[in-house]
Amino acid sequence: MNGAAAARDEVVRIEGLGKVFPNGVRALDAVDLSVRRGEFLVVIGLSGSGKSTLLRCINRLIDPSEGRIWLFGEEMTALQGAELRAMRTRVGMIFQQFNLVKRHSVLANVLSGALGRASLLPSLLLRFPEADRQVALAALERVGLGGRDASRADALSGGQQQRVAIARALLQEPELILADEPVASLDPALRHSVMRHIEALNREEGMTVICTLHDVDLIRRYATRLVALRDGKVVHEGDPEKFDGETFKAIYGEEAEPTPGLVG
Amino acid sequence: MADGAGRGERGMRRVKGWLIDWVLVTLFLLMVDFLWLAFSGRRGPTGLLLSPEEILDLLHYLPLLAVSAALAGLWQAAAGILGESPGWALTRPLDEAPSPVLWTSTLRGWFVALLIELTVFTGWLVTEVQLVTFLTQFNKAADIVRGLVNPSSAVLHQGLILLVQTIFLAFMATAFAIPVAFVLSFFAARNLTRGSALARSLYNLVRAAMNFTRAVEPLVWALIFISWVGIGPFAGVLALWVHSVAALVKLYSEQIESIDHGPVEAIMATGASTLQVMRYGVVPQVIPPFLSFTIYRWDINVRMSTIIGFVGGGGIGYILKPRVDLGLWGEVGTLVLLIAATVWCMDILSAKIRERIV
Repeated sequence: MNGAAAARDEVVRIEGLGKVFPNGVRALDAVDLSVRRGEFLVVIGLSGSGKSTLLRCINRLIDPSEGRIWLFGEEMTALQGAELRAMRTRVGMIFQQFNLVKRHSVLANVLSGALGRASLLPSLLLRFPEADRQVALAALERVGLGGRDASRADALSGGQQQRVAIARALLQEPELILADEPVASLDPALRHSVMRHIEALNREEGMTVICTLHDVDLIRRYATRLVALRDGKVVHEGDPEKFDGETFKAIYGEEAEPTPGLVG
Repeated sequence: MADGAGRGERGMRRVKGWLIDWVLVTLFLLMVDFLWLAFSGRRGPTGLLLSPEEILDLLHYLPLLAVSAALAGLWQAAAGILGESPGWALTRPLDEAPSPVLWTSTLRGWFVALLIELTVFTGWLVTEVQLVTFLTQFNKAADIVRGLVNPSSAVLHQGLILLVQTIFLAFMATAFAIPVAFVLSFFAARNLTRGSALARSLYNLVRAAMNFTRAVEPLVWALIFISWVGIGPFAGVLALWVHSVAALVKLYSEQIESIDHGPVEAIMATGASTLQVMRYGVVPQVIPPFLSFTIYRWDINVRMSTIIGFVGGGGIGYILKPRVDLGLWGEVGTLVLLIAATVWCMDILSAKIRERIV
């Protein structure tokens, strides 16, 4: 594979990324990372290791303090205003707390994924083109929530709300999905039902996924590659199949013990 | 861990404690001075006993300030013998437990108890409390009370008509206030104005303007608008409108500051523009509390609109004032009962509706 092809294949490229918050906390420190099209990259690390900050720097919900980020070959860290928003439409995001608009209908929540391309005035009146409505209904059907479009979002269970959030991301027709602890607030029994939908986007639609996770079972089942953060630095990068006790200690510290249920 | 920071904090506590003690000891000495002058039998230039105002003028402010500064310092220095001073106790770090002793066994306890008693005695004299007059001269006010409990029907018709005007006055002031306060509140919310220097300065400007507007009483606003648009209900509407905008901006913006940031992030991540983020991420979260505050404000405006007429701002107060001046107590009684009934109804109505919303 020549250099140009490799560059086309590269969805995310991060060089020397650092973030220091106004309160002096350093969340990221000289992070270098490259993500190729079609990968399902899982980012792990303790709470506060910088995973969420890393994801939010990629779509600039947080502005980095140092370093540069390229998305699809364009320098994300150089974009402003309309160009930045246009780039964000190509990146879907899924959150631990689902972050739906609770008082809006399920359908309105899904349609909000189309805000980036909607015309301003109708969108402020919650009006969307019929074509978008059809796409939204199809997206709901796809995540197994057909017929629930008129319910209020907060009437749904946690697992259902997260699937609405996935349908919302789907409406953006994104090339990259950022998933920040997508199943951490869900009942363990429901985790696979949500993860399988994200996996389907990756396998069937060819969307690249960057996902933070805690659960070793899920990491082994879904990740194609693993990156570990500790104190804002990348401390491990590798194959999820070879994720063992040694690497566990390297990531979580000497004090941590892998419980038999987690790494066995 | 007797490091520099620890010593610095202890030094700060000494200064703060001493300042508090200084104020308290000064107040103590001034009140002793006041009571001594009041009971010394001294007479003023007119030959009469000194009035409270005259005594307040005669107090030995500067010498006592100096004496109390020294006494406060002494108390801090001799804390080993005298026990903790009030200032030292008030500046104690929250995680440090106070010593469990009875107040009667400390100088501080006796000092504070005496200070409270001195304040009550001094206050009694300064506000010229006259218990005997209060208890024996009810007959002078009997006419008024008789009028109030025997309302006259002469003014009932006019009163009812002006009551309708009063309620509309309050309603219009609230209605005009909603759109202005809604827009301004977004600029007065700290969490939405962090983006740029421009947003920051708009935030400070709106905050300052609203604080000033709120600090001026509606009756004063009414006087301004009466000169502007003339006597009548419209001046009252404008006066209550200005005050309501300021009050609602405060309530609305505090609500915006307490929203869940999650939906805002999610909508931003879709590539939505700022207006769309506000419409989808912020507005749905604040609509129910905004409605509740607005109804509460209408309730307050009905109360205020009943007296805004005292200065010429329209409503029922406009016919109440001359009847008070002329001593037509029966008619005053009718109007007061109408006002009380309206306020009572609004109170219950607004409480019931707000209960349902939030």
